[in-house]
This record gives sequence, structure tokens and C-alpha cells, in this order.
Amino acid sequence: MDQNKIRNFSIIAHIDHGKSTLADRLIEYTGTLTKREMEAQILDSMDLERERGITIKAQAVRSSYKAKNGEEYMLNFIDTPGHVDFTYEVSRALAACEGALLVIDATQGIEAQTLANVYLALDNDLEIIPVINKVDLPSADPDRVKHEIEEVIGIDASEAVLTSAKTGLGIEDVLEAIVAKVPAPSGISDSPLKALVFDSKFDAYKGVVLYVRVIDGRIKPGMKIKMMATNAEFEVTEVGVFKPNLVNVDSLEVGQVGFFAAAIKNVKDARVGDTVTDANNPAAEALPGYRKATPMVFCGLYPVENSDYDNLRDALEKLQLNDASLVFEPETSVALGFGFRCGFLGLLHMDVIKERLEREYNLTLITTAPNVIYQVFRTNGDVELVDNPSNFPDPTVIDHVEEPYVNATIIVPKDYVGAVMELSQEKRGEYENMTYLDETRVMIHYALPLSEIIYDYFDRLKSVTRGYASLDYELAGYRASSLVKVDILLNGEPVDALSAIVHREKAVSRGRQLVEKLRSLIPRQMFEIPVQAAIGNKVIARENVRAMRKDVLAKCYGGDISRKRKLLEKQKEGKKRMKQVGSVELPQEAFMAILKMD
Amino acid sequence: MQKWEQIQGVYIHTPFCLQKCLYCDFASYAGADTETMEKYVDAVCSEIMMRSNEVTIADQATLYFGGGTPSLLSEKLLAKLVEALQKNGCWLQPAEATIEVNPGTADLDKLRFFKDLGFDRISFGVQSLNDAELRAVGRIHTANEALDAITMAEKAGFTRVSADLIYGLPEQSLQTLKTSLQNLTAAGLQHLSVYGLTIEKNTPLAGMLDKGKVELPDEDCQLAMYELVQEYLEAQGLHRYEISNYAVSGQESRHNLVYWHYLPYLSFGSSACSFNGSQRFTATDSVTDYIESIQSGKSCGGFEDLTKEMQLSEYLFMGLRTTVGIDLIETEQRFGCDVMLEFGVELEKFIRGNLVFCDIEHRRMRLTEQGMRFSNEIFEIFVK
Repeated sequence: MDQNKIRNFSIIAHIDHGKSTLADRLIEYTGTLTKREMEAQILDSMDLERERGITIKAQAVRSSYKAKNGEEYMLNFIDTPGHVDFTYEVSRALAACEGALLVIDATQGIEAQTLANVYLALDNDLEIIPVINKVDLPSADPDRVKHEIEEVIGIDASEAVLTSAKTGLGIEDVLEAIVAKVPAPSGISDSPLKALVFDSKFDAYKGVVLYVRVIDGRIKPGMKIKMMATNAEFEVTEVGVFKPNLVNVDSLEVGQVGFFAAAIKNVKDARVGDTVTDANNPAAEALPGYRKATPMVFCGLYPVENSDYDNLRDALEKLQLNDASLVFEPETSVALGFGFRCGFLGLLHMDVIKERLEREYNLTLITTAPNVIYQVFRTNGDVELVDNPSNFPDPTVIDHVEEPYVNATIIVPKDYVGAVMELSQEKRGEYENMTYLDETRVMIHYALPLSEIIYDYFDRLKSVTRGYASLDYELAGYRASSLVKVDILLNGEPVDALSAIVHREKAVSRGRQLVEKLRSLIPRQMFEIPVQAAIGNKVIARENVRAMRKDVLAKCYGGDISRKRKLLEKQKEGKKRMKQVGSVELPQEAFMAILKMD
Repeated sequence: MQKWEQIQGVYIHTPFCLQKCLYCDFASYAGADTETMEKYVDAVCSEIMMRSNEVTIADQATLYFGGGTPSLLSEKLLAKLVEALQKNGCWLQPAEATIEVNPGTADLDKLRFFKDLGFDRISFGVQSLNDAELRAVGRIHTANEALDAITMAEKAGFTRVSADLIYGLPEQSLQTLKTSLQNLTAAGLQHLSVYGLTIEKNTPLAGMLDKGKVELPDEDCQLAMYELVQEYLEAQGLHRYEISNYAVSGQESRHNLVYWHYLPYLSFGSSACSFNGSQRFTATDSVTDYIESIQSGKSCGGFEDLTKEMQLSEYLFMGLRTTVGIDLIETEQRFGCDVMLEFGVELEKFIRGNLVFCDIEHRRMRLTEQGMRFSNEIFEIFVK
């Protein structure tokens, strides 16, 4: 295929603005898949992605399109993950493209997440094609949206394509715009191989399958390749493309998108953003932009049944094969026994991993409340990274503590500016600036502690703005904060897994809320259970879980002992999901109580 | 032959009531006509004929007519049932023959008739001796009718009379419960079954509670009631012999002891459960299905095979309901296993907490008073 006839693009859209539907239409229109095949295809994707409506892994589909000018084009559509946790993955997928469709809901306008991704695309010099979707809806206002695109992003929206992915309106126009506006890839075919890895997944038969965009040179089976970040070398066993199922080809040429396998056993050797080169004729330098994924959010994962510890480790190892950004190391909790401290890119990533462990590996887990990683500066000059509140040092040896901050972008109708500012202030945010996107919508920037974001900022933001706000953020370094550790005691015994690090000014109220919440979550047992919050030796809050009064089963009707047995079995089953901590049985939710406070 | 290899009790179920109580989720139906009752009784007689020769029935096996409301059946139908039982070796020289009677359906002639039929024990569904409480749960009789019925039973020649009582009823207070207890013992009752009200899903009472139309005594009050029952009855000479049962010595329900001792029993009628030591047979809840299957010669219910573990666990949680508890040597003989070896680890904390008492000398295990209060928490360890 002529390099000039290749178009590599991706789609930038806010959740619900119609990205998947548009992608489906494009695939359908180009005849890559029939309608029936598409349904089957959708069924194959991960349950979790479908349920949450969020793409977690990138995907790439090659189709061919015969344009109105009579020429046949190769279109490579690279789908990007749709969540702030995966911003780095998005940036790499965009780097593999020359253009992007900016899909905006004609009834809604630009959202914070869209904006963040548009900037990523502009950073990568992508040609942006505005697509205004859902124009069939009565409340559609394409002109307002065009105006907003020009005002906010500063790109010409006069030729924006109007579509309704639902009805199929404008699909051909989109394809024509891609052909006309997205530049052809500019690489050099006889230069040494340079291919950008934008995703990878583990396949039980092939080993790691790397999703790549060939920037220069070509890649074909039998070639000895080198990963430039890790220097690991492998021999290519298979090369192919996605249509969207895997189809083997003889080679991937310059500018093309596809996959290759090279009997790589671990995704750690095939990191997103790395550059693949020819081991015998290596490129002088790697492609820019590579960085190692760093976990931002940590939590403890413990099996409810201690005997599941090995199964949990095996399951984490298997998931890690497919997910280089998941980190874990063994840890021991006095309360919970043996488990793992796990690091994630963000909360969604954490939820996804946890759900996969429970669903796919049938484990019953206790998750401790997520926390960020703190830098503790000791009085003796040592700096310590603390990713588990129970390891927070004694206050007497701490000089100061720093915590991660983010730059947050919030887009909201102007009526809610006050509410957003009040909330952000309460969450220790520092106001930076505010811009009007148009007469009705405002973009606000705040610096916020990441810990507040993972605590309940987003939920609260949604609720104070009645769901109108959209949020995006990026890490912005560490800042000093006045932080203390709040411990929780049950029956007078500290439960390490319930400790939390909170801002000093909020410690008392947080402690009070936490013991109240725990009181309501802990089922009554045969004895009274005092629940206390303490900072050091000082108790700051106390509640009691009253003792159960009695637990007697009434009469057994006419010898129906089975019914009685089943009642007891049911009662026992309920307790199996609880964790015995000292003399107290704790439900799983208790460990997440700190996140679930109103 | 060991006692657990023979049928030790026979139960006949009557699924009819004049009116269904608001708390009842049991298989009983109001408004059945005479014809249905006749068909039903005929079916039960056929079932007795078909099933009684499959098992060995002890001569002394107890008899129990329960329900529903067995006293709702006509004299003719009751006589028919008794005859069928006698003819088929189910009613030989029973150690006890009880019939449940709703006080609202009792009169002296009827009670005399029960006596003549061979019943020697009556269990009255009194539930309360307070009219407001009785109305609140839809009972068909008043307090005075209940007391009258008890007097009539005595007149009819019954020396063994029991009453069921419920605590935790809507409208009930500690004081009204005490009055009910006082009046029942004053009436000379030597046996009482006292249950805490259980709110079962899908009963009218559950719905009324949800809508806030009725209110139950709070938890503390219910506990006080539970304690009052025990203290008061013990003081009156009715000792507790099972979690919910009290009797003057010698007046204990022998039939119910068959269940608690986990001995085999044979039951007839819809929704009735039989147990042969390793299997439980439960008949269909539906009266029409029951009649149809019997008429067409098909099985009227289903079997549940009980594994050794299930048998042991049921034996333990039934046996530990009695105040004398279980005999560890007998347990070993019957199930070939040592309870302390099997459940020692889990039992340990209950023994230490003085909820379970292990009498090493006499090789017995029983719940303490405190243990009875939390019996479900303990029984849980025996099930899977």
C-alpha cells in the first residue's frame, strides 16, 4: 500500500458523546464488519468495559475505504482509553496518529476530559477534525458548539462535520474529511525500524501482543528486535493487523498500525511508549515521550479467607502480565493478616483490578481505603515514601510531610461556579484562575491535593453541580501539608488497616464521622464494641456498637428441620464475607468506610 | 433395635384455618369448604395406608394432630383419620396423643369427643390473653374464650393441657405479658410453649410494619419479655426444658422431644415432613396438588438425602435446644464421631464465654442460659 494512502486517526470524545457508536458506524460503513459480526465482536470485549461504558485498553482497527476521488485508502482507527487514570496511555495512542476526530455532543458542548485530550492531541501535532454528533436531537445546537470549539480550543470549526452516529447521518462526510485532512504518515521506509508501542496485551498462546505504529522502517516475522527502554531483545514470530480480529500479514510497513508477537513473556518488557527497533540495525535514538507508569493510588488487598493468599498472589501476577502499571508487594496487617499493598494509576484502575480479581478469580477480598503516596521528611534528614497509613512515622520524628497535588480543570455552567469554589475551598484547593468558555459555561482551575480527589471530590462535585460539572486533572508535584494519622480502635485494640492520614484541621471531624459510620456498618455482636478514633494516644471520638440482645430461633413447624438448617446456613454465609479482627467481626465495607461518608 | 431406627412419632397435618393470622407464613388456608376437607382427609387416609408399611413404627410412637387448625375438622373426619392410623399400625399404644385446638373452635362436646377418640393431650393456640393483642394479629378468639376453653378441657377429662403463647406482639407490654402468664398458670396449665414473634417476609404483618401501621415492642423490651417468661414460669414450677418450652416435671411434650432428640417420625398431609434417620420427605404445600398426587398414586412430595455431616449438625442444633443437652456417648454411637474433636475449635470460645457447658463427668453438653439467648450464634458453627 502506498504510504500516501494511509490515514491514522483516533477519536477524542467525552463519555456518552457517542464515540463508540461513531466508531461502530465507521467500521460498518467501510464494510470491515457486517452488522452481525459487530455484535459478536462487542460480546467478546471485556464485561467490565461494557458495563462501565469505558474503554480501558486501547484498540486498533484497520479498514479500507474507497473515497469519492476513486482512490482506495487504508484507515487505521486507534481507540483510546476514556478515563483520566489512563492519560499517559491516551497520549501514546495519539502519538501513533496524524489526526483525530474531536467528537462533541451537539446538545452538551465541550467537557473537561475532552479538552484535556484535545490538548494532548495538539501536543502531538495532530490534525483535529471537529465532528458535532447527535445533531438529530431536538435540543442540538451545532452553532453554539462550533463557536465554543473556536473560542476554547482555537481551531477552525467552520467545516465541522455534522453527524448522527445513531441514524448514520454524515458518516461518509467523516470518512471524506479523514481522507482529505489527516496527513499521510511521513516516515522513511529504508531507515532503521522505529515503532511506537501504544498498548499491549497478554495472550496465553502468543505471549505479549504489542500494538504498534511503525514510524520508520518495517517489521516482519523472523526479525530480531530490541525494546529501546529495557534493551530486551526478541525475535518476531508474528505480524498482523486488526480487522478488528487479528489477521496475520507479511509485514507492517512504514506508517502502518498493527501488532506483532515475539514470544515475550511479560508486559513489563513491552511497555507502552517504548520504541521497538531492529536489534541488528538499531535506530540512533528512541521516540520521545516514553515514561514508566507510576502508580498514584495505593490500597491493601487482603483475602477474607487467609488460605486464599496464594491464589490472590497468582491472580495479581496474571493480571500484571497484562497490565504493567499494576504494582504490588506483600504486606502484613495485624488486623487482616497477609495481603498485598497494590499501586494503581487511579481509582478506576483500582476498581477494575479489584472487580476482575473477584469475578475472574473468584476471590473474596477486603480492600482498605485507597490513599496517595506521602513524602515524609524526618527530623534526621531522611526522606521516606509512605504508601500505607499504618507505616506513617511517629509525629515526634517528623519534620514535615508533603503530599501530591493535582492541577484540576473543572468545566461547569456559570450558575454553579459558587458551589464549585466552595467545595474546592473546603477540599483545601487553591484557586488559580477562571475563564468563560461562552456566556453560560466556565472553566475553573484549582490546585487540589490528590488525596481529596480520591476521597470524595468528584462525587461531591457531581452532586453540587447536579451532574453538570466535568473534571480533569494532572499531577502537579508535591506540597507540604499539615497531616496527621488518625487511628481507629475497636474494643480498645487499634486496627491498623483502618488508619487514615488526614489534614490536621479536619482530623477531629473526620474521626467523628468515621466512628459513626463504623458504628452503623458493624453488625451487633454478642458484646458491646467501643469504636474509637485517636490521634496518637488521644481519643478524639467514640461510639459504641450495642450488644446484640438475643438471637433465638422460634418454633419448628411440624418437624421441618430443613428450614431451620437453611436459616442457619444463610446466617453463616453472611458472616463468611466478614473478617474476624480480634474478637470483632467486620464486614468488608468497614474498611472502605472512610470513603463512604456523607 | 435402637430407638433411632424406629418411627417414634406420627404427625397429621390439617392445612385449614377459619382465618389466617397476620403473622403466619405457614401452609394453611382459610375458607376451605366441607367437600375439600373431605377429599383432603380421604387423601391423608390413603397416604397413611400407602406409606406406613414402608417403615417400622414403635408401639409407643406419639401422635400429634397439628395445623392449621385440626379442631376445624368435623367429628366424622377426625374419626376417619384416627381409624386409618389405628388400622395401619400408626396408633397402637401411644405414649401421648395430642391435638392442637384453636380456642375459637372449642366447645365441651367437641373436647369430650377428642377425649373419646383417644387423645390425651390438648395444645391450645392461645398466643395471648389480651384482646387488643389478639385483635392486632388477627386471632379469631378472645381472651375469655381461651380461658373458657382451658376450663372445658379439664371438664372433658384432659389432665395434660398446653398453651402456645407469643411475646413481642404489637400492643404488648411487659405488664400485659405478665398478666397473660399469670392467668394461664392460674388456670392450671402445666405446659407452655412461648415463642418470640418472628416477622416472616410476605405476611400481612410484615407489610403493616413496613407501612408503619403497627409497632412492635423495642429490642430491649423484647429481651425483658424473654427474661420475664423464664423467671416467671420457673417461679411457678414450670421448668424450661427446651429453648421455648416450659413444663411441670413429667408434663413435657413427648412428641416434640422426638424432634429435639432427632428421632425418626412419620408425617401425613400436605406440607408435612417425615424423617427416617437419613432422609427427609416433605409433602407439597398445595392442598390441591397433594390431593391430586395421592389420588393418582404419585408421590406427594420430595426427598432430601441428608449426609452424615448434615445429620450430625441437625442432631446437634436440635438436641442443644433442650436444657439437658446432648449425650456425647450416644452421639458417638449414632454418628461415629466425637463432637469435641469435630467442633472443639469453634466451640472453645463459647465454652470459655460460658455459653456452652461441657459436663465432662457425665459426658454431656448443653447450652447455658446465656447460651440459649444466643443459640443461633452457636448453632451456626454446626452447619456448612
